Amino acid sequence: MARTFEFHGGVYPPERKQRSQGPVRHARLPGRVVLRLDQHAGRPALATVAVGDSVKVGTPIARRDGMISAALHASISGQVTQVDRHTITIDGDGVDTWQRLTPLEWRTANAEQLLTRLEQSGVVGLGGAGFPAHIKARVGERQRIDTLVVNAAECEPYITVDDLTLQQYALDVLEGAQLIASLCGAKQIVVGIEDNKTEAISALHQAVAGSQPLSVTVSVIATRYPSGGERQLIKTLLNRDVPDKGLPADVGVLCQNPGTLLAALRSVRDGEPLIERLVTLTGEAIADPGNRWVRIGTPMATLLDEAGLNRSVLHQLVEGGPMMGTPLADLEGVVTKTTNCLIAATRDELPPAPPESPCIRCGACEEVCPANLLPQQLHWYARAQDDAKLAHYRLFDCIECNACSYVCPSHIPLVADYRHAKTRLRHQRLETAKAEHAKHRFEWRQARLAREEAEKQARRQARRAKQTTQQTDSQATSPQADLRSLRIAQTAAKAAVRKAEKNLARAAQQDPQQPHDDLEIQLATAQENLQAAEARLAEAREAGEPQETP
Amino acid sequence: MSMLHASQVDDRTRLTTTPSTGDIMRWVIIATLPGLATMTFFFGLGVVSNVVLATAFGLGLEALFLRLRQRNLRSLNDASALLTGVLLGASLPPASPWWLIGIGMVAAIVVAKQLYGGLGQNPFNPAMVGYALLLVSFPTYMTLWPAPQSLWPDTLGSQIMGSISLEQIDALSGATPLDAFKHKADGLTASQFWANPPLPPGTLRAWQWIAAAWTAGGALLLAKRLISWHIPVAMLGSMTAAAALIYVFNPENAASPWLHLFTGATLFGAFFIATDPVSAATSQRGKLIYGAGIGLLVIVIRTWGGYPDAVAFAVLLMNLCVPLLDIYTVPAAAEPRSADRARP
Repeated sequence: MARTFEFHGGVYPPERKQRSQGPVRHARLPGRVVLRLDQHAGRPALATVAVGDSVKVGTPIARRDGMISAALHASISGQVTQVDRHTITIDGDGVDTWQRLTPLEWRTANAEQLLTRLEQSGVVGLGGAGFPAHIKARVGERQRIDTLVVNAAECEPYITVDDLTLQQYALDVLEGAQLIASLCGAKQIVVGIEDNKTEAISALHQAVAGSQPLSVTVSVIATRYPSGGERQLIKTLLNRDVPDKGLPADVGVLCQNPGTLLAALRSVRDGEPLIERLVTLTGEAIADPGNRWVRIGTPMATLLDEAGLNRSVLHQLVEGGPMMGTPLADLEGVVTKTTNCLIAATRDELPPAPPESPCIRCGACEEVCPANLLPQQLHWYARAQDDAKLAHYRLFDCIECNACSYVCPSHIPLVADYRHAKTRLRHQRLETAKAEHAKHRFEWRQARLAREEAEKQARRQARRAKQTTQQTDSQATSPQADLRSLRIAQTAAKAAVRKAEKNLARAAQQDPQQPHDDLEIQLATAQENLQAAEARLAEAREAGEPQETP
Repeated sequence: MSMLHASQVDDRTRLTTTPSTGDIMRWVIIATLPGLATMTFFFGLGVVSNVVLATAFGLGLEALFLRLRQRNLRSLNDASALLTGVLLGASLPPASPWWLIGIGMVAAIVVAKQLYGGLGQNPFNPAMVGYALLLVSFPTYMTLWPAPQSLWPDTLGSQIMGSISLEQIDALSGATPLDAFKHKADGLTASQFWANPPLPPGTLRAWQWIAAAWTAGGALLLAKRLISWHIPVAMLGSMTAAAALIYVFNPENAASPWLHLFTGATLFGAFFIATDPVSAATSQRGKLIYGAGIGLLVIVIRTWGGYPDAVAFAVLLMNLCVPLLDIYTVPAAAEPRSADRARP
């Protein structure tokens, strides 16, 4: 067993994973699916089908919009019955006919093919953030990656998706890890898994023997929440500190979750786009808990009823885990690519929080904070909306793990306050970006108009000059110089696009839950500039060529 | 939001459950019991009457002001007003008159706490605000410590009712060891002072027993992880160091570190007053500086100031510094280290 290291803080919530053990099954094929266009990090996808279209399983129904976004595929065969701004509804024909992509052999295919395949298949991070896998795999183009970390810690109570994925598909997961590692140029693969998953660990040990070409280390770590946080896991496994405002890539690491690796492999090896995922169904209000393969877009009510939901004792439905998940107000939701767990809890199981009392700054939160923050101070300044102090106390380094809320003796919903503050600050940033974008476009238009006017003037003068004197030599030099400066402008614009792409990729990876419209706008602006520069260059070349070639 | 709360989880695999805020306060009150019992044993039921009156005033005033501020009276359950009463009651001379306790609790609960916005909002330690106000306003009453006496002194009732004259009380009371040492006759060296028993018999021993009892309560708080070690250790450490330094250079005029530590409010203050989380510094580094500052100030005031004991003023002065300490002691963000990039 590899040596492991300690991260600061952490808590030991009850695990409650026992009920959802047992073999993985397939959920019944739903009669209707509702696919949300915003089920990944970044911008919502754009629908490419219309009402009445017939689709098969795997037919693309929405394409990505902007850089951080993902494609979407029909998860059952049938007919599109509704398309609106947020969802596409498909009524099933019960036949389940498939439309697959051509299988690829990842060991021989080139990187571009594989990245395109991941993108076409709509593979996103299945651990919860839903970050597009092809963008993440591209990180190797910008930074050197030496280690692929398979994040199988799964420290949240209740959830057993990764556990069961490894118990049943360890070989495929490692194959997927080899595939992603080859894409990002990693030299080793490290699997981090908590010591409470004994069956998955033994499955991994068996599978490791046959995994190649890269060496795989299985690192069994102590069970402690949130050991599955990227930073915490990288610290635990490799003793590397991801800098604040940095990414794992800054210390040479790429993290992926087992389910994502399995989906990536299937999209390449089997040509299967991401149309289903494993979901843990658990909670005391369910008679038949366990992990199921569920088609994306399956209504939660259908799924839970099939698992024997007792609505009379259902007190709280949670999507995700009890620490970081989302409490749902009703059963109207649908399964998305990031739905890893549904907890149908009784009142005894997840009782409502006791009434909040004032913070006495006891410091329990500070002791458990894995990001080494002072949650009690953040709480104070978040409520006072003191933005300078929030920055000083590193609000944006909060990973929202809720360890602080869990131990707070005054039952203060700390992370809810932080999220509130973050949203408010982001909103301010977005408004600034929008204003700048508008200003930029206005200035750009003014410049274009002025340029066109000047060009018209120049042409008129040239005509007049041609008519009076037949001199040509003076004209030949100026387009040359012009061409050079345009080429420089084009190169600069290209560099700006690359920089904008990099900024967006970083920001989106750091904070996948949030919209990054400001950065998407910056990227779009840079792309517009590049297009304009290229158009001008082409124009100048055309104008210049007859004189250059003779 | 977290849907699990440590205080609600009944988990058989882990025995470390976190108490709620009310539970924390109740545990601190329980931890004062050894100290209170020992004080009662040596100084009589006047200690109990102090605590009973102070807590009654505390709860009454808290309820009144919660009502005036239109807050839920359920907040009384957090036991913070009760704790303030216990702490102020333990600080006052035994069998203090009811009006003195009442004025102290008005300063503590109304001025220092509720007017600042209630629990969690007060920059100063409420009990010490009450104590300091009484000390500067009614110095005669505040320095009348009885000599060790029977459990039920005859004058108990009239003392509490305030119907006994100051001269009569004066006749009953002695001085605390720190007080006696501070006001020793001019020209008397420390060895001469101790050579001729300066205090009623048993006084020094009583104070030491009481200090030991407060330490036992403090140990309970540490063991239950209700306070962290940072503040008491820093405070007692800096006190010992500063007192030793002065003593080494001036053994004939300075009190020994031993006298500083084991008499007066030192240990009570270190475990029960300085550790009040609301008015203390926040980060661990901040707590160390905060505690050390209190210790230093205690020695400075005791040595060169006008008050024989100084825990209350030292705590209040360091309360003043907390906002500044908090700004300069934010735990640093993780920085990329060159070692992190070393490739395997």
